[in-house]
Amino acid sequence: MPVFRLDGRRIDILDGDTVAAAAYRAGVRTFSRSLKVHRRRGLYCGTGDCANCLVTVDGLPGERACVTAALDGMRVERETGWPSADRDALAINDSLHRLMPVGFYYKVFARPRWLWPIAERVIRRATGTGTLPLQAAAQRTPTRFVRADTLVIGGGVAGLAAAAIAAADGSVLLADEAGLGAAATDGPTRAAIARLTDEARAAGVEILERHAAIGIYEGPAAAVLGPEELVEVEAERVIVATGAIEAHGVFPGNDLPGVWLGRGAARMAALNGVPIGERAVVVANTHEGEQVAAALRTAGTDVTLVTGRVLEARGSRQVASVTVLTPEGRRAFACDALVLSLGWAPRDTLLRMTAEPEVVAAGDVVQPGCTLEEAEESGRAAARGEPVQRRDADPWPVAEHDGYVCVCEDVSMHDLEQAWDEGWTSSEILKRYTTATMGPCQGALCSRHLAEHATAKGAPPTARGRTTARPPVRAPRLGDLIGGVHEQVARRTALQDRHVAAGARIDHSGVWLRPGTYGDADAEIRAVRERVSVMDVSTLGKFLVAGRDARTLLDRVFPLDVGSIAPGRARYLLALDEAGYVMDDGLLAALGDGSYYLTSTSGGADRMEAWLRNWADRLSLHVHLIDQTAPLGAINVAGPHARDLLATLSDDDLSRAAIPYPGHADITVGGVPCRAIAVGFVGELSYELHHPRGRSVELWDALLGGGAAWGIRPHGLDALDVLRLEKGHVYLAQDTMPDDHPAKLGLGWAIGSNKDEFVGKRALERMDALPLERRLVGLRFDGAPQRGHPLAVDGAIVGRITSCAVSEAAGGPIGLGWLRAIDGIFPDRLRAGDVTATVSATPFYDPEGVRLRA
Amino acid sequence: MSMLVTCPTCGRRPSTEFSFGGELRDVASPDTASDFARVYLRENTAGSQEERWFHLLGCRRWVTLTRDTGTNRIEA
Repeated sequence: MPVFRLDGRRIDILDGDTVAAAAYRAGVRTFSRSLKVHRRRGLYCGTGDCANCLVTVDGLPGERACVTAALDGMRVERETGWPSADRDALAINDSLHRLMPVGFYYKVFARPRWLWPIAERVIRRATGTGTLPLQAAAQRTPTRFVRADTLVIGGGVAGLAAAAIAAADGSVLLADEAGLGAAATDGPTRAAIARLTDEARAAGVEILERHAAIGIYEGPAAAVLGPEELVEVEAERVIVATGAIEAHGVFPGNDLPGVWLGRGAARMAALNGVPIGERAVVVANTHEGEQVAAALRTAGTDVTLVTGRVLEARGSRQVASVTVLTPEGRRAFACDALVLSLGWAPRDTLLRMTAEPEVVAAGDVVQPGCTLEEAEESGRAAARGEPVQRRDADPWPVAEHDGYVCVCEDVSMHDLEQAWDEGWTSSEILKRYTTATMGPCQGALCSRHLAEHATAKGAPPTARGRTTARPPVRAPRLGDLIGGVHEQVARRTALQDRHVAAGARIDHSGVWLRPGTYGDADAEIRAVRERVSVMDVSTLGKFLVAGRDARTLLDRVFPLDVGSIAPGRARYLLALDEAGYVMDDGLLAALGDGSYYLTSTSGGADRMEAWLRNWADRLSLHVHLIDQTAPLGAINVAGPHARDLLATLSDDDLSRAAIPYPGHADITVGGVPCRAIAVGFVGELSYELHHPRGRSVELWDALLGGGAAWGIRPHGLDALDVLRLEKGHVYLAQDTMPDDHPAKLGLGWAIGSNKDEFVGKRALERMDALPLERRLVGLRFDGAPQRGHPLAVDGAIVGRITSCAVSEAAGGPIGLGWLRAIDGIFPDRLRAGDVTATVSATPFYDPEGVRLRA
Repeated sequence: MSMLVTCPTCGRRPSTEFSFGGELRDVASPDTASDFARVYLRENTAGSQEERWFHLLGCRRWVTLTRDTGTNRIEA
């Protein structure tokens, strides 16, 4: 016989058992201890709605024993009580109840202040439920996206009937938390569900069993959690048919083990054959009383069925007697089980999450206590788009005596009264102060009691409503939340394998993986300055801008004078936003046929594309923008011998007449067709070779092979950071701030002076009238500076170092940094800690640019 | 938030495929003085407003649509 272990004890499993059913058959009555006062809690709802039977299953906390199938070899532990749930030393709290009134933790430990951290630690250990497994790696639940015309939540009679009808008009997805018919305890319901399941399947409904909808969002959209997947459903409409449970009864002793809600007790008896006790009293004010009593009797329980109001239940370890006010008067019964069917509590949490008109309801959830025929008809009506008559549950009698309103959080009627007297006079505020409805069951039992209490106290309509429901309805695991699409894709260039093989340290640079250094950044710098080097710059944003209005668009949006770029030439380009702030920079090459080749920074490519498309669209211009970032690779060949190297691999004319600076030409290098762009970011003679990505490796190998004669070595980001700094070039975002207009960066020269219009022009005009308060300057240091270090004058901080490096070529430590004007004057000597900084003209290296024009 | 946005190329797609481009504004200002309001001041309408959405994870087309900011319903 299959067995599982409950706190080490062997428990036999019969066919179809849940963890709770097997444990209950073996005599377990106490399943948990309550949060605050450690009262015994047993099986209560039996339908997965309350939090009394949360246990840890195979290390996973918070599993509901009453709906978790018992499997051979499972390890199950009860989560509360010390040393055990059966014998709990902290049960003393129950008798100290009056010392811990509602909100006591806001009051008791407030003074002296040092007491709270200690008290908090004690309270933390004494309360709470299961322990989160810290060592286990979180399992990522795969996420699936589904579009459906209709999503039906709940596979009972109403849900199945709705799904079958809706399938005539489109795709239907039906999610059921248990299994279809798994919760039906009587013959007619089982028969109706079997018949409707056949109808639904025949109509083409996709049925997801053991899938619980945990939230409804705008759209409408729903998150549906299955055992091995999270399904995100975008639906044209949602039909909620989640049913109802019996109303939670509030009276002294209402939380004793042995007190049951009717449908759960019937399930235990009818589905698992476990008698809930020897003598049960069923207090029923609904039409299901007979049905529940019949189910209990099949399992051998002696049942007394009465109507009326429960005044009190008594017992120590479990219920032993009950007093009921019946129509005939007050009656007392000795019993070991008390079953309540006092009224209906619709499972309407999902409905209270949304106001979308596409979300409708059918069955018990809107017509609590409806018959099978009514449920089926309401399902069909909802599917046809007809209004389903909402039938409010009978108003509940407000409890007159004490009793636990919120079982999860140990909030009693007395607590609600006291909170009300303290001035927390609305349902929402009562919730926050008492924490009622905030436990693991999320108010499934008590949310209505809170509203009823506020109503009975005479709160105005705005202060007595049901509290807002929010996802999730069921507790998802962390792995369910982190799964799916929240993955960062790391992009790699075609040369990634070459970089790794060369021993490069690979860095994350935005979305890209890029080589930081191949081992010796100083040697890489020297290779660029003295000989020749290559760098993989395939990450640059690369765009072809073509079409009738290509030039009109570029001229209208960029500050440079596009018309003045002759075919074969290229120009540095700034992109400003409408506030006149620098958004990105790059290069614009005129291709001669009226189209243009545009490069942007590696991190700015997506934004550049969206931005250009927006302007083309808003200005109704006929432009084709083709993103070539992925299909093209690019390798920068830089150094005094760059042209010599290319000459060994190319028959094309590489002179300045053929490829001017800054300019471009189409050449063939090592058999690979390239667009060679003469640029100068690193300040040496250099050619960016843009080529088809599929041939990157071939080109890279040819360049490294041919360059061996000059001692070529590739350089990475570390070397580039120094090389560009020596030239005084800014790194956008590292050296700049979001509100930098070109003048602050010393880039005013990049603005076309005689242009009527470009994006940001008006803003620049406005800002030109203002004094310059802050600017980026070059710095030289007499010691080793640190990036990010504040710059001070006479102890007052006036700026910050944004980039710095010790530069061989510039003859010492150099950097860039921000300065603020003091009384309109920018200081030129500053302190950065122990180091003195002097403002210096840039570029630090080859200021006339002789080398890059060579 | 989740809702469907109609893209002229791709049809109704989840809003998570789109990036939000803000309120629809004029593309240019008649003079420098009025440019400040165009760039910095928003209507922040509670109700229907015209907006720009970019189908970033799709066809990369911009769409102008009308959304009710109170209900997140897209009207056109």
